[in-house]
Amino acid sequence: MPLALRDLQAAFAAHVMGADRADLLTAVAGDTIPATARLSVHRHHVFESLGAALAATFPTVQALVGPDFFRGLARAFVGHTLPLQPVLTEYGSDFPDFIAGYETARDLPYLADVARLDWALNVAFHAPPNGRLQATDLSAVPAERLPSLSIALAVGAVLVNSRYPLDRIWETSQPGAASETVDLSSGASNLLVLRRPDDAAFVSLSAGEAAFAAALGAGMSLEQAAGAAFQGDPAFDLSTAFARLLSLGAFAALQ
Amino acid sequence: MNPVAGIGLRSPHLAAIGRERPATGFLEIHAENYLAESPALQAVERLRADYAFSIHAVGLSLGSADGLDTAHLARVAALVKRLEPAWVSDHLSWSMTGGRYFNDLLPLPYTEEALEVVVRNVGRLQDAVGRQVSIENPSCYLGFADSTLSEPEFLSELARRSGCGLLLDPNNIVVTAHNLRLDPRDWLDGLPGPAITEYHLAGHATNDADGEPILIDDHGSRVSDGVWALFAEVVKRFGARPTLIEWDTDIPLLGVLLDEAARAASMIETVIAAGGQDAARAA
Repeated sequence: MPLALRDLQAAFAAHVMGADRADLLTAVAGDTIPATARLSVHRHHVFESLGAALAATFPTVQALVGPDFFRGLARAFVGHTLPLQPVLTEYGSDFPDFIAGYETARDLPYLADVARLDWALNVAFHAPPNGRLQATDLSAVPAERLPSLSIALAVGAVLVNSRYPLDRIWETSQPGAASETVDLSSGASNLLVLRRPDDAAFVSLSAGEAAFAAALGAGMSLEQAAGAAFQGDPAFDLSTAFARLLSLGAFAALQ
Repeated sequence: MNPVAGIGLRSPHLAAIGRERPATGFLEIHAENYLAESPALQAVERLRADYAFSIHAVGLSLGSADGLDTAHLARVAALVKRLEPAWVSDHLSWSMTGGRYFNDLLPLPYTEEALEVVVRNVGRLQDAVGRQVSIENPSCYLGFADSTLSEPEFLSELARRSGCGLLLDPNNIVVTAHNLRLDPRDWLDGLPGPAITEYHLAGHATNDADGEPILIDDHGSRVSDGVWALFAEVVKRFGARPTLIEWDTDIPLLGVLLDEAARAASMIETVIAAGGQDAARAA
């Protein structure tokens, strides 16, 4: 009795992911090249091509650990989490957390944060460039309403905070960067990743600016967000921080 | 009809094509790479005025017994609406089951059950994009013991029942024929010529499978001599069609792709001039 197509595809998928499926081996016509060798072409392609997709999305992680280590890391992740849909630039949101729990990467404690930065840059790159708040939009808002105004972050604007100097680690990992040592204890970093007209990039924020942007992103009003920023950073200056984030295009247009 | 040969648009070439606007018959993009509002999509939109486009999907999974991914189908349809390409295509294969995507063109058994599944999925796709789509013959590394139809029989019947076009890839025929011990010229027999809308050409690699050579469709080199010879035979039998050079791994300089496309165009011209063509199609 032949397998129904749905069962055949489920068995094929299970085999690709490493399961031993005798029913599939019976269904595949083998000859001097046995069914297992023929099937391994697909198993190889699934893992290699998804690993290559992860390498494209997480180039800084790969630059830090090298292609061989990255291949092993990616294979482990692919075996753990397959894409749920066919757009490969949307695959890998769980990769940073996976790295954080990956035993072999434990001596690189900053690697998961680097992956978060790579992912944020990838998300920003694929976000629409329009729909940003302009200074002129605010002139229509009565002054007394400003404190209670909620302003969301622009699509693709993502905060990446790390206890490590992530910006320095990123810069020294870029193609062509001079090799230098980054002092991991040189301080935390608060990065804001943004879509720009032709690419995605990050800027470094002060602790107060980062707390302010995070609070706005969480839905707080301007007044509440400023309060949150002051609490973390007494040197926080609302008008300077607001003007800077506005000019960076970090805010979404008012609803 | 002038032979038209185009190239697959790949991200390393995007800037050079935008700058130099080289002469080529058309550009083909993979749908899945342009579904987000990235700078790459903006760059493609800027090229729309100067080039005809083909949208080639690789992830619709038209052979899935589960049916099509509704969200993905809607995104591809929106891209088709936005770019208004000359051609839309995907493969005779599957890549999703149980809600997981395998990023490979996985093989189907050629049975009546599978045919009904693909006819239904292709019909849904054609309804969503509001036009005929073309289905490409895959590169096969294995066959199924339960298949009751040959691959060309399956494709012919698919075209007849769904009204889809066929995208014929001579490189895939060479790969499949070698791997499944078939004769590539016999493979061409019985294909419905008028249903063929487009040709694809690419390079393949030779790997070792338990001590025997197996051909791999890696799109990582120039078109092989054997594939050029089969392409000449295809053009002789079925006539000229828009022809694409694809390159996906170890992508060379843009000039190499343009050079391969020029070779394809000149081969079509030579074969047609020598009298080989489908009279009805070429008229």
